[in-house]
Amino acid sequence: MNLQLPYVDRIWRAKGEVIIDEPLAAEDAFARLDPLFQTPGTSYAVAGDTLTYSKKNPAAQDKLATFTSGALTVDQKSGVSRLSFHVSSTALLLCFLAPLLFLGFAQIAHAVNAWEASTAEVAAKEKSAEEGKDEDKDKSKAKAELHWIDKLLGAPEPDDPTKKKDKGEKKEKIRTTPAYVLAGLFFVIYLVGRVLEPWLLKRTFRAALSGRPDESVASTDAPRSAGAQAQPDIG
Amino acid sequence: MSGVQVGKRIIGADAPVTVGWENIGRVEGGPFKQFFFTYFQPAVLFGLIAFWYYAPNEWALASIGIAIGLGFKVLLLGLEWVNPRYRSWQLTWKEFATDVFYVGMGYTLVRMMGTYLGDDVMIEAVRNAFDWDKFSWFTGLPLLVQAIAISMIFDFGQYWMHRGMHNWYPLWLTHAPHHYITQLNINKGAVGNPIELFLIGLGVGGFFDFLPRAFLLAGAIGMAVATYQHINVRFNTPRWWRYIFNTVEHHSVHHSQDYEATRSNYSGTWIIWDRIFGTCVDGEAELLGMEGGRRMDIRETMVFPFTEGYNTFRTWLRRRLQLPEAAPHQPEPAE
Repeated sequence: MNLQLPYVDRIWRAKGEVIIDEPLAAEDAFARLDPLFQTPGTSYAVAGDTLTYSKKNPAAQDKLATFTSGALTVDQKSGVSRLSFHVSSTALLLCFLAPLLFLGFAQIAHAVNAWEASTAEVAAKEKSAEEGKDEDKDKSKAKAELHWIDKLLGAPEPDDPTKKKDKGEKKEKIRTTPAYVLAGLFFVIYLVGRVLEPWLLKRTFRAALSGRPDESVASTDAPRSAGAQAQPDIG
Repeated sequence: MSGVQVGKRIIGADAPVTVGWENIGRVEGGPFKQFFFTYFQPAVLFGLIAFWYYAPNEWALASIGIAIGLGFKVLLLGLEWVNPRYRSWQLTWKEFATDVFYVGMGYTLVRMMGTYLGDDVMIEAVRNAFDWDKFSWFTGLPLLVQAIAISMIFDFGQYWMHRGMHNWYPLWLTHAPHHYITQLNINKGAVGNPIELFLIGLGVGGFFDFLPRAFLLAGAIGMAVATYQHINVRFNTPRWWRYIFNTVEHHSVHHSQDYEATRSNYSGTWIIWDRIFGTCVDGEAELLGMEGGRRMDIRETMVFPFTEGYNTFRTWLRRRLQLPEAAPHQPEPAE
C-alpha cells in the first residue's frame, strides 16, 4: 500500500502524532513500542529516528491489525518528544470499495429478475389456454385445521388458502434489497472505521510509550492459558 | 500435553481443551448480572415461542421474523461487549467488517446459488420426477410438535453434512476455511467459503408439508439456540439446555486447535444428535483455529477449495507417476 495519491489516499491512510510524556530518544521510544511488532507476520526496520513496519495477515487481536504498514518517526522539539505516524490500511480501502461489490450483486439480481420476468411472460401466454386449472387447484386445497390442543391454547386459525391474496406486488426471483442494504452498511462501517481506527491507534501508541502495563500490548500476544486446560474430570 | 479420554478418544492432546461442565467458568459479577446471564437464553427462547404461537396471522410473516433476527443480533453484539467470554475473542472493527462481508455473501451470492441449485429446486425436481405430493404427515399435529420436527429434521441433515465435511476430503476442502477462525463472535457462523455455506444450508424439509406458523416457530427455535454457537458471551446456561441444545461451549470445542476435538459436536441446534451418534464432547476451548491459529484472509478463503484441491491432485499425480515432489504438502488433512 505504498501508492501515493494526494487527498485520495486519505481513504486508506492515516497520520497523526502523539506527545510523549517524558523526553525520549528515538531508540528508547521504539523499544517501548517493540511488543507491538513482536507478532507473527510482522517485519520492521529502524533507521535513525524512523521505524518502518509491515504486517502480513496479522492475527485478529493484533493491535495494528487494521494498519498493516507504515512509518513512525520520533523527534524532539524544545524538550518535548513526539511520535509521528503515517500508516496505511488495506482493510479500510477494501471496506471503502465493498459497497461497489454489493451494488454489482444488485445489478446482477436485477438482470436475472428481468430475464425471469420475460421468460415467465412467454410461459404465461402458452398457458393461457389452460386458464382456470390453477383456480381449481386452489379450490381443491382444503383449509388446514389446527390440532385441538392448539385450539384450546388459543393459537390463531390458519388463513383460508382459497382466499385470493393481494397480487399487487410482484415478487422478485432474487431479492435486491439485501444487496443495497449491505452496500449502505459497508459505507457506514467504513466511516466508523476511518474515524475509530486512527483514534484507537493513537491510544495504543500513547499507552505503549507511557510505559504503562497496557492491555493494548498485553493482549497482543494473548496469554490464553487460564481455564483452557484439559481437565481430569469427564462430564 | 496428555489430554483427557472421552469415550475411545483423547481430547486435548494437541491443544488445550476444558472437558467436563464442572470445569467451565461461570458468570462473574453482582446478583443482577448473574440473574440476567443465567435466565436470558431460556427467557428469549420461550418469549419467542409465545410470540409466534399467538401472533395474529397478519404479523406471522417471514419479514417480521427477519427483522426480529436482525434486532436480536444487534442485542447480542451489545452483550458481547458487556460480558465477553474471553478477551482474546473481543470483536474489533476489522473482524466485524470481515464478518459482515461474509454475512453479505450469504445474503447475495449464496442465495443466488440457492435460487437455481438449492434444496427447494432439487426437491421439486425429485417430486416432479416421481409425481409425489408433499408428505403431509405432520400438518395435523400440534404446532410445537411440528416446529420441533422441522427444526430436528433440518438439523439432522446439517449434522450429517457437517460430519461428512470432516470425513470426506472434497467436502472438507469447502469447510476448512471456516475452521481457520480464531475467535467466536455472532457473525462467525457466516465466515467460510460460499460453496460450504451453500452445502450446509441444504435440507430435506421441502419433502414435508407443515403449517406456515410451524415454520416460523421452528425459525424462532433455531434463532434462539443456534445463534449462540458463535458468540463471545459468558452465560450460565441451564443444565437441561446444554443437554439438548448446542452451545458456544460445545462449538468452541469443535473449533479448537486440538484435532480430535474438532471431530465432535457437529450439530447446529440439537446437540442431542451428537449424543445419539456418539460425537458429543461437553467442554469448552479458547485457543481456536488451524495451523497454530493462523488467520485466513478473505482472498484465501474464496479460493482455498480450488487451490488446495489442485495442490492435492498434483501431489497425488506426482506420486502415481513417481515424479519427485516439488514441495512438501500442506498439513492438516481432514481424515
